[in-house]
Amino acid sequence: MKKPNLKKGIEKLVKADKKKALRDFVYGKPHGERRLGDNYLPKSGLYKHREWRGVKDTMYYFNNIWLYNYGTIVGEVLKHNPILFVKGIWRYRWMGQTYLTVLHWFDRCLEGERDQVLRASAWHLNGLVKACLFQIGGMFDRDIKIGGSETLRDRTMAHDETVWGGVFYPYRDQIDNIPLQMIPYFVTCHCNSHTVLNYIDAAQSIGLPGDPCPMCQAEAGVFVQDDMPDYYRAVITSNEACDGSVGTSVIQDWMMNKPLYAMPQPMRFDDESLVENCAKEIEGAFRFIEEQMGAEFHWDELVKQLEEQNKLQRFEREKWDVAANTKYSPINAPAQALYRIFSSQYGNSYIWHETDARVKKILDKCVEQKINTFPLTRHRAIAWSCAPLYYSALGTWGYNCWGINTIINMDSLMFDMEVRTDSYENTLHDMAVYHEWAPMRRMAVGGLHHVFELWENMEKFNCDFVLMYDQLQCKGMQGCHGLFEDEFRARDINAIWIPHALPDKRTVSRREQRKIISDYMYTVMGEEPLDPSLVDFDDDNSW
Amino acid sequence: MRDLKHLIYFEDLLQEANNDLVRQGKKDGKTVLGYTCYFMPEVLLDLPGAFSVRLRAPKCTSPDMSTYYMSGRTCHYGRSLLERALEGGYNFLDAQLATETCTVTCRFQEHLDYMDDIIQNVDFKVSFTDVPFKKNENSIDHYEKQLQEKVLDFLNENYNIDTSDEALLKAIEEHNEICRIVREIGDYRKLDKPTITGYEFFVINLITMTCPKYLIKDKLLDILEDLKTREPDDKPNYKIKVVMAGAENDDPDFINLIESCGALVVADRFCYGSAESRQHIEVREGETPLRAIARHYLMTNQCARFMDQKEMRSRKQRIADLAKEYKADGVIVISNKFCEYWSYERTVTSIILPRDYELPVCSIEKEYINTASGQLRTRFQAFVESVELKKLQGGAQK
Amino acid sequence: MNKILKFAGKTVGALAAAYAGLFLVFYFDLDGKLLYYVVEPTLIKHYDRMERRDPLAVPYEQIERDYM
Repeated sequence: MKKPNLKKGIEKLVKADKKKALRDFVYGKPHGERRLGDNYLPKSGLYKHREWRGVKDTMYYFNNIWLYNYGTIVGEVLKHNPILFVKGIWRYRWMGQTYLTVLHWFDRCLEGERDQVLRASAWHLNGLVKACLFQIGGMFDRDIKIGGSETLRDRTMAHDETVWGGVFYPYRDQIDNIPLQMIPYFVTCHCNSHTVLNYIDAAQSIGLPGDPCPMCQAEAGVFVQDDMPDYYRAVITSNEACDGSVGTSVIQDWMMNKPLYAMPQPMRFDDESLVENCAKEIEGAFRFIEEQMGAEFHWDELVKQLEEQNKLQRFEREKWDVAANTKYSPINAPAQALYRIFSSQYGNSYIWHETDARVKKILDKCVEQKINTFPLTRHRAIAWSCAPLYYSALGTWGYNCWGINTIINMDSLMFDMEVRTDSYENTLHDMAVYHEWAPMRRMAVGGLHHVFELWENMEKFNCDFVLMYDQLQCKGMQGCHGLFEDEFRARDINAIWIPHALPDKRTVSRREQRKIISDYMYTVMGEEPLDPSLVDFDDDNSW
Repeated sequence: MRDLKHLIYFEDLLQEANNDLVRQGKKDGKTVLGYTCYFMPEVLLDLPGAFSVRLRAPKCTSPDMSTYYMSGRTCHYGRSLLERALEGGYNFLDAQLATETCTVTCRFQEHLDYMDDIIQNVDFKVSFTDVPFKKNENSIDHYEKQLQEKVLDFLNENYNIDTSDEALLKAIEEHNEICRIVREIGDYRKLDKPTITGYEFFVINLITMTCPKYLIKDKLLDILEDLKTREPDDKPNYKIKVVMAGAENDDPDFINLIESCGALVVADRFCYGSAESRQHIEVREGETPLRAIARHYLMTNQCARFMDQKEMRSRKQRIADLAKEYKADGVIVISNKFCEYWSYERTVTSIILPRDYELPVCSIEKEYINTASGQLRTRFQAFVESVELKKLQGGAQK
Repeated sequence: MNKILKFAGKTVGALAAAYAGLFLVFYFDLDGKLLYYVVEPTLIKHYDRMERRDPLAVPYEQIERDYM
């Protein structure tokens, strides 16, 4: 370790511009002068100290984000059975190893953010924390492996995380539904990228080759390691998003060994003639729920939930409209991407409405006061294809380091529809279409013409740059790699391919991804970084 | 055993997709319809005035151009097909009847659709059929409608092919006749001392999928006749019998390799195999021919993409049943590298079959064209030895 | 009265000290360091040692009926 040189330090202090130092203390260093990378401890990604964002924003971060979210965790735990939470931490790797580190995920996603962006984005992340705790508590309360209630378990259904929660709306007043992999797998990768590696390895330990999509491998691995809580009576599964998802269902079915209903989406889903088939499968799911759970179809409940969900969709479009046509959107890239995919897939919840109400106030303020929220934007980017789960903060880094402001991402755009509630037929029709537009099905693994919706969305969101995620084990996107190259050339679009293996950071590290982007910015764009300390740093062992 | 009639001729035909008989069929004025998957009913593409060709890319060991388009991380089969298309090897096709049954073959077929000049034939078109993941009535309804719209209407409107019920019934009849002959040939694999090898049978079956059937029927009958008097070798040159199950394989040399290691392949339950594709299509009373075809191709299908709980589990039972029917000593389960469906299915199958059915399993991940045959040979030899040893030990215990 | 004031003063003082302490924990990322260097390694050791059900022993019964 380098020895501190006291003499030099004093000299530096004497020479320093006192006024500027005071201004930096009060308001925080302006973007362009910051050296955020200097805050990191090597390898671990921990901070020597957390970022000083000026008095107001630092205290906001401390009080309204750090303390508030730790408080939220305690409060949510107390709403459930705290003893079961402790048991759950002790029993499940995905719980203990992952979720305790959640505040560091905030740090990574919100690095460098100030003022309204800091606030709006943090509320999105807080919504996710609440939603996760709601599900974790729900799982543990019912998990008979750790002494949860059998009665509660018997009124709960599990479903593949890609089965839209809306399928259960007609029964929400009678039974509970909790997605299978959302908590033990999907969110863990964002919070703590170490955990999932155990599950990938576990899946391969029973003979699965290493080349299928690592997401599906990890989902199978949770079952192989016997790390799935036993909180449900029956299961609804799906083929979403890809062949690997179908494959992993075979292992899951075996390991779960419970009544299972498959509710697949048709593959050529943009064809109106397919909706009927999908709608009938949804009706089959209704029958399955009724038969397994003894629940009754409540039309009023379905309508109530859908109308609430439609409100969420309308606000989402409002956010997109601001992001697409102004400089005033206060939502940063990870907040937009994660909140949207989580909420649209999960379905209606009071948590989203609370969050949206808070975000709307901030959004309105930004628009009314014409606050340029990302003032050092050099490029307005659209992020396409499936993103690296272990690097949800990549968008934050892109803006801090290079001024690449990710306006929108592919997953956000999937469920862009309201479901009609005027008749059973129309509702079922729209539910089928909604179900067909599941994440990745529509734009990554679906028909080529949907994958190429990129071009129209670039225009719609006024983007001049593409962050092209290159999921190395996604057969759907790998299978049209060259056509994208051809199109990028033909349309003269700046696109950076960012290779990754979804949850598995061992294949392409975050550092390598940053290098690829930086190399492109230096060599192709001929630009210099806004924060040179962020160009290269070693966070290979970080969460 | 003495040489089988027409085998060398058939082997020659399999050297390329656009073989002599395909050229002959085209010269006869027939419409040539390509497909890749069992989900596309072959019988519908063999309607009067047309014939089907299940696409292969023999000898494609280095798919460089398609690797640019599909990267090196997709299944070699899909990439090889695209490579062959880019090389001009499928210019004889008038249409491709596509299915999105697995991602990479879907992407291959989308390239045929998207890249205007890839097939040098002005009449060339692609039609995609959506196929179900389940085997319920809803699925049959859906499949039937899709086949009507995306296959029959497409063929009728674009190629003026007669798609009436009469034409369908005729196609079913001819298809059933070919299937009957192939099944009868294949039944010689059930004998205690089979008089046909897995390799020979596979070559014959492949020919029926890749050539106009009307041009090979007489030769198939010759072979059937020939088999009636074919005697097995006094000392068989195999040590065990196996079922080969799993993903795509259209490479007879792969079976030859297995058999050269001492395992006679007596049943073929994989894509391009005969276990399902050569079953008799039954038109039930009151059923339209199209309905019968939809039902048949859905219900006989053993693809690993079916998701009904019952189906997922019964696929293992089906392999065990085949092993019993064909008196096999073990099972070789194959999947192609980067095949998502069969990676999982192979993993589970290779655990469940030995555990629940006491069937030894050799679990193999292969390429489309297997140039690294040394490694595979070692695997197969070790498997044969282990099964043989078990048999000997079992015999001694008795 | 004096006692009450003293108590209130002490309480406020304690709260202020706790607040300042928490701020130090926050600012110097002490929560992160504790989790990274102590909690996570300890839990990993525990998870790695845990006895787990043999996944390959789970029954795989054929199912007579299907959920359509």
